[in-house]
Amino acid sequence: MNAAGPPPAGRWSLWADRNAGSIFLLPAAVVVLAFSLFPLLASFYLSLHRFKFVSGGFELRHVGWLNYKKLLFGSQQYHFLGTAGEWHAAFTFVVVAAAAALIFCLYRAARRGVGAAGIVGRVLAAAALLVLLLLFLRIIVTGVPGTLATTLVYVFAGGALQFAIGLGLALLCTSGLRGGNFFRVVFFLPLMVTPVGIAYAFRMLSDMSKGPFAPLWKFFGGENFSWAADPWQARMVVIIGDSWQWIPFIFIIMLAAIENVDNEQREAARMDGADAWQVFAHVTWPAVMPAAATVVLIRAIEAFKIIDLPNILTNGGPGIATESMALHAFAAWRTLDLGGSAAVAYLLLVVSVVLSISFFNLVVAPSRRLR
Amino acid sequence: MAPAGFRPLRIAGYAALVLWSAVVLFPLYWVAITSFKTPSQVNGGPYYLPFVDFMPSLHAWVYLLVDLRNDTLRPFFNSFVVALCSTVLAVLAGAMAAYGLSRFRYRVHLGSIGLFLLALGLAAVAVVQAGVHWPVAAAAALAFFFLAVRALAPRMRRSVGNQDILFWLISQRILPPVVVVIPVYLMFQQLNMLDTLPALVVTYATVNLPIVVWIMYDFFNALPRDLEESAAMDGASRMVIFLTVALPLARAGLAAVFLLVWILSWNEYLLALFLSTADSQTMPLLVAAQNATRGPQWWYMSALIVLMIVPVIALAMLLMRFIRRGFLVGAVKG
Amino acid sequence: MIKPQHALPALALTAMVAMPLSVTPAAAQFNGVEVNIMTFTGPQIAEPLQRRAPEFKRMTGAQINVITVPFSDLYTKLLTDWATGQNSVDAAVFAPQWMADYIEPGYLVDLSAQVAADSALQVDDISPFFREFSQRYKGKTYMLTLDGDFQMAYYRTDVLDQLGKQPPQTWDDYLSIARAAHGKDWNGDGEADYGSCISKKRNAQAYWAVMSIAGGFLQSQGTKQGAFFDAQTMKPLVNNDAFAAALKVYVDTTDYGPPDEINLDVGDTRGLFTQGRCALTVDWGDIGTLAIEEGSKIKDKVGAVPLPGSERVLDRATGKLARCNSRRCPYAEGGVNRAPYAAFGGWSGGISSAAGKRVRDAAYAFFSYMSQPAQSNVDVTIGKTGFNPYRVSQFENLSHWLDGGMSRAAARNYLGAIGDSMNSPNMILDLRIPQNQRYQQNVLDTAVARLLAGEINIRQTMRQIESGWEEITDELGRGEQAQAYRATLGQ
Repeated sequence: MNAAGPPPAGRWSLWADRNAGSIFLLPAAVVVLAFSLFPLLASFYLSLHRFKFVSGGFELRHVGWLNYKKLLFGSQQYHFLGTAGEWHAAFTFVVVAAAAALIFCLYRAARRGVGAAGIVGRVLAAAALLVLLLLFLRIIVTGVPGTLATTLVYVFAGGALQFAIGLGLALLCTSGLRGGNFFRVVFFLPLMVTPVGIAYAFRMLSDMSKGPFAPLWKFFGGENFSWAADPWQARMVVIIGDSWQWIPFIFIIMLAAIENVDNEQREAARMDGADAWQVFAHVTWPAVMPAAATVVLIRAIEAFKIIDLPNILTNGGPGIATESMALHAFAAWRTLDLGGSAAVAYLLLVVSVVLSISFFNLVVAPSRRLR
Repeated sequence: MAPAGFRPLRIAGYAALVLWSAVVLFPLYWVAITSFKTPSQVNGGPYYLPFVDFMPSLHAWVYLLVDLRNDTLRPFFNSFVVALCSTVLAVLAGAMAAYGLSRFRYRVHLGSIGLFLLALGLAAVAVVQAGVHWPVAAAAALAFFFLAVRALAPRMRRSVGNQDILFWLISQRILPPVVVVIPVYLMFQQLNMLDTLPALVVTYATVNLPIVVWIMYDFFNALPRDLEESAAMDGASRMVIFLTVALPLARAGLAAVFLLVWILSWNEYLLALFLSTADSQTMPLLVAAQNATRGPQWWYMSALIVLMIVPVIALAMLLMRFIRRGFLVGAVKG
Repeated sequence: MIKPQHALPALALTAMVAMPLSVTPAAAQFNGVEVNIMTFTGPQIAEPLQRRAPEFKRMTGAQINVITVPFSDLYTKLLTDWATGQNSVDAAVFAPQWMADYIEPGYLVDLSAQVAADSALQVDDISPFFREFSQRYKGKTYMLTLDGDFQMAYYRTDVLDQLGKQPPQTWDDYLSIARAAHGKDWNGDGEADYGSCISKKRNAQAYWAVMSIAGGFLQSQGTKQGAFFDAQTMKPLVNNDAFAAALKVYVDTTDYGPPDEINLDVGDTRGLFTQGRCALTVDWGDIGTLAIEEGSKIKDKVGAVPLPGSERVLDRATGKLARCNSRRCPYAEGGVNRAPYAAFGGWSGGISSAAGKRVRDAAYAFFSYMSQPAQSNVDVTIGKTGFNPYRVSQFENLSHWLDGGMSRAAARNYLGAIGDSMNSPNMILDLRIPQNQRYQQNVLDTAVARLLAGEINIRQTMRQIESGWEEITDELGRGEQAQAYRATLGQ
């Protein structure tokens, strides 16, 4: 520092002002570096090892990619990937059609002059989509899904359901009906309940012998049948519980987005003779699209981590039907298979990062650019 | 949408709203009345209306608040302190970062990121392979990093900008907590902070930081700059501008983010499970603990859930004054 | 919370062995000592500990702090605390099944000398199974039993009377009662009730139920034989005709159970049974005390028998089932081989080797105090506690049970079944080798859950369990695991 500078206090504040940018960013960056980077690397390290408690501490034995191999090709394959079912002739048709469509999209992107990195990213995304499609057909349609497929069902089916209902409610609340303020407070409530509590609450509600819906269930002839014994019904119940909690989140953000749309524009469209659907499709939807894309992304990111509901409602049963990847990792951790647990968790990270980034680049970023 | 004039549509709209209110409220109602049921009323159920088809009992509440008293109130107090402190921390640090990212141009050289990772790797190798004490390794790595950056900085070309930093911060949220719990546990053990409230505060602040940055970045971006510019003309420093001009303008967003982060910290289970043993147990642990060898104790559990919702509703009411209409307006602007 | 200073473990250990503890706690002997005892949240175990802590403090001056964590996380919580050197827990009440994982790395103190010198404990009054097997590992005593846990079959006496059936001796009997009772109204509420309710939820208690059924098919030569592995080769005993027969019974009981049985944990089945909705159940001793609690619809309508058995047992050489004879089934009665299953093993106290000497002594004195007949004979009759009988005096003297609210006949029947189980020389010791949770909770439980869900058939289930177990054994070292297995069996 310059010796002929201002007095110490002033000098410090001057320095602070000059480096204000760094100072603003520093706390967040340091905290994230300290608390995310180290655990992330340590966890990866752990996933390549076998963990064992020994006298005076623990021992880590390097096993290479064994923990991953087990999940992808070995004894845990049924658990993670699932068991593939039969192949139908119709599947071939679907896959060929999808591949053709993807290649066409890639070709168009190349013609548009997307850079090399963009092409590589798109090829990867296309490959991932194809793999997903294969997974969907062979494992979800005819086979026994593992935790990967189940997690994707929660993310896609749950996310779609929640977005549809959340958006619908937001549209209703902004459509000039009275009592909107009351309803929006009520609709926000589920977000305030602890997920563990929600899971237990839904376990009470979904009990068809002494829960509130038991008489209804019996009335419709369900006394000799339980949702908990049917894989898809059990998954449905998990999705219902998850949706109950997360619809408010989508609702509240879509509400804000819709209220932010210029009412004059809508009025003008209406004056021009547009009906409700046209106003929505041509005025409201384009305006709220960026917010919608963002909220779907946030929801998807959180949905990948779903654990409390399947854990408490069904403990992952029947069989492994409702077990999510996070629960899979948690169960392995509970029995001190720390390496295996870290491997599942890492695969979860990879899947969610690939899908989140794809979604961000293909949907969120373009929708923002459009504006 | 817009069924304003048309009667049948209007009625359908109200019907949908009322129906959804029922969907939202019924589970909460069921939890609330279960907290007043005796075990045999729960097991012999379903019973729907207190005083009509079952006689409510205060036994669960008496057990939790009178018999256990401190074992219930201490986790409650812990949850409160942890939620409050971590939320304040996360919102403050997150808002600062978001403001910085929306007002300054950052350029971080790829080379220095590489150097940082290199230093980290070296430190890790030193600790794991050579058994170096970790504070020593960390200090040495840091020193190496700064010296190397000083020496090599002029030669670095490629760099990342604001959008990349933003995405990096946000991407931290993608991390599933199961991935990091074990290392985080070991970290706090090394720092001798296990089973303390500060450990939970810092952890929650970190995991929730990305959400604050994400929402507040859009918010600050949407704020008009002229007030800040005139304050700068008057000679106010950037920090003063941030505190006295930008933050008050963004209070609706801050309130919304505060509420959201509060809810996330208040309700968090998995990390609390690892980081607390006795003294710093929080409420979600107490709820989950009601499921023991005899199966879930629905009556206690329900009472605890009710106990947990009340403060959040109170907080939401308080903050709604700031949020009001246009909640998260800035947040959803592109 | 202020914790006492921890002395060097090795030093303290020597000191402890050298000087036997005086067994009758003298007043103020442990003045200023604080002991942090961890167990799970809920009244079952924590309540008696907390209730007796003040009187123990008056007697000895030691302050007992009971720390509770969620039941499902107790195992890992203790392990991480001790393994990482955190050592905030001085002693714990946990399932003895976990002790190998704690003893092998040296986290638990050997209590043999103290137990031998402790006359107030009346260790001979503790039933042989718990004294010789459950408290011990590799010949040394590491834990003090506070609770006797084993599974039994419970039936409704009124149902059996109406059906003209005898209590089940074999699993075929069990199934035939269940078949006859299923679909009829047994509690007078006008609704059809169930033949058998067994907790089959995944990641809960299902894997114990499976072994309760399989035990009689697998083990016939006494506790030392073991029911999980061939003790020499560690070859799993899960891929053979005996295990297939047991799985078949397990699946068949589902036909006579509630439709959502696959999603019921033991709390749910106990609720159903005490509401009078089931004719049969397989459960721990808790049913006996729960049946006489307020709100129960089956007061004095419950009978208990030791777990049913089988007339044909596993021939380990061929993997086939073979009819019992005096050589094959030395402990059979009426040609039926029974193997009561000490599932979970009964909550017991263990003491951390990292605690200071005075803390360890105080912890021992407290566990001894809890286990002494004067205290424990009262505690096992209180329904709210999860403590079940484990001492001879607890089922010889009916008065405690009558005071606890049972009718004389019910008490006789209940205690008779407990006594028969407990005294059985063919009791099955639960799996206690290192990482047994992975064998049972991960592999066995998942495979059986998939079987029930129809994802795989019995053959595939057995293959999945076998390969899963072999994989873990190979991973942890076959020799070491076999040695540990033999050690737990006292071989």
